[in-house]
Amino acid sequence: MDETVAEFIKRLFLKIPMTEMMTILKAWDFLSESQLQTVNFRQRKEPLVQELVLLCEEKCASLNDAALLDIIYTQVHRHQKLWDVFKMNKGPVLTGEDIDLFDIEQFKSSFTKILRKALKNVTVSFRDAEENAVWIRIAWGTHHTKPNQYKATYVVYYPQTPYVFMSLSRLKRNTPLLDQALMIASKHHQIVKMDLRSRYLDSLKAIVFKQYNQVFETHDSAAPLQETSLWLHTNMDLRVIHENKVEKERVQRVTQETFGDCPQPRLEFAQYKLETKFKSNLNGGILADREEPLRCLIKFSSPHLLEALKSLAPAGIADAPLSPLLTCIPNKGMNYFKIKDK
Amino acid sequence: GILAHLERLETQMNRSHKRFEGPQRTQAEESTLGTRIHKLRLLRDKLRAEVKQRQAEIEASAASTEPDQTLETSEQEVLETKLENLKALLQAYHFTGLSGKLTSRGVSVCIHTAFDGNLLDSYIVDLVIEKPLWIHHHSVPVFIPLEEIAAKYLQTDVQHFLFSLCEHLNGYAGRKYQADRLQSDFAAFLAGPLQRNSLCNVLSFTYKVELGGQSFLFCARLLYKDLTVTLPTDVTVTHRGTDALSTSWEEQRVSHENLFRTTSLHKAFTSFAGGEKLNMSL
Repeated sequence: MDETVAEFIKRLFLKIPMTEMMTILKAWDFLSESQLQTVNFRQRKEPLVQELVLLCEEKCASLNDAALLDIIYTQVHRHQKLWDVFKMNKGPVLTGEDIDLFDIEQFKSSFTKILRKALKNVTVSFRDAEENAVWIRIAWGTHHTKPNQYKATYVVYYPQTPYVFMSLSRLKRNTPLLDQALMIASKHHQIVKMDLRSRYLDSLKAIVFKQYNQVFETHDSAAPLQETSLWLHTNMDLRVIHENKVEKERVQRVTQETFGDCPQPRLEFAQYKLETKFKSNLNGGILADREEPLRCLIKFSSPHLLEALKSLAPAGIADAPLSPLLTCIPNKGMNYFKIKDK
Repeated sequence: GILAHLERLETQMNRSHKRFEGPQRTQAEESTLGTRIHKLRLLRDKLRAEVKQRQAEIEASAASTEPDQTLETSEQEVLETKLENLKALLQAYHFTGLSGKLTSRGVSVCIHTAFDGNLLDSYIVDLVIEKPLWIHHHSVPVFIPLEEIAAKYLQTDVQHFLFSLCEHLNGYAGRKYQADRLQSDFAAFLAGPLQRNSLCNVLSFTYKVELGGQSFLFCARLLYKDLTVTLPTDVTVTHRGTDALSTSWEEQRVSHENLFRTTSLHKAFTSFAGGEKLNMSL
């Protein structure tokens, strides 16, 4: 086994938390049951990793096997990466030719060929995932240098849909080549970056495929939906009288109509780039009455932005209904906005 | 009925005559029974008259071209018939797998898919009735071209939108069912995994065929270029091997191609397994 491969595998094992070691090894399915049984998983990490690397050497692990282990680790720890969303278009459609006869093997070989043709040194690996998604790992090299296995790019593609998710790569110069390979292999004409970015890949997927808010009114039972009330608890202290009960109920209703009843997809921020004229209630001030637009950047951050926005009106911090600029985030599939005066 | 009752009373009277009862008592009984008979006869005549009148009314309304009845009752009847027709229509749609329910903002449509007598998955689309009409959320799989279908029909013809979506979902469900059945029930025939894509509209597999002691490997590739169909639009069956096929094997290959084109996958393989000859003359 190559020394670089051994080192790479060793570093991968060191990254994996002890609690996940067994599950990841089983998912990798490279070391056999009998081999794993000979290992003492109760020892400290360093000696355990050394043992595992020796076993991999015995079985002559290749770079591709190591790359597969890297994919599995990344799939489990997908929120360690920041993901961008891209949408591909098919371009002008000729009648009779618009049906997507997607063949996964053709896609994989076409994609790999295009990259290999352009860059002699590149490692491409694939792993199928849930819901027919395919995870692609690309380690980039140049004509003269070997691929850098520690800075791989990840692409998650859902075949027969226009959407691709990519982990942000620091090696920006390879982006055009990657885009081209994706387009040609999947038979699309154009790839456009959406203004949507987050660590939570599953939330991005839910937003883009409109899979959040999945509780539907049941079609079989005639029973009315349970009323869930955030603030109007009926078992509260009877000495407390809600003076503005009507208003509270209205806010409740409006919030439920806008956000729905279900957990919101998870985003960490929303960014608004404003290029609008400054408007102020106060008269005067040096910023008022200027012709040029005021350029500013507003960033909302939160561990769970959409849930936070949902609780603003019921908490009394904002008026209901909220600004459509805030509530349109999941519907429009955007969390980066550029706003100009009309 | 009444006449039988009267008969009974008459016989009773006759019997009581035969008994040794005082003429007075008999007379009193007679008179009470007589009045009773009289009342019953009146009732009978009244009912007969009513029946005759109703019959006459029905005949009259059926024969007449002018509305003799008052305007209110005819309108009500028209509405009632319309309602009955609508209810019957909705019930009929229900059998095709489409059902709808009003929501606070619009309508929630549920599409039940089925294939070959089996009820398969259901999918929901929540529509918000505003101008323009829009889809609030849905449970349609991501690879079904919902956006395309909505772009074509949602604003102009909702019925067409629903039917088109229904066709796509039923087509997908049927193809998926066949692929799943092939993988689960006929794994023994396959030499290698079944290759399929999300829409199940490209299926490739290699399978073993035995004929008269010899066995060959055939590769089949089924393309479904129309997303609403459950039978392939293109079928190619090739022989895996270097030597050319004898005429009998070539006939087999062609017959398999035709079989896959005309029968669902699992039925085709059932025929391979059972050795039954499917009627292919169409």
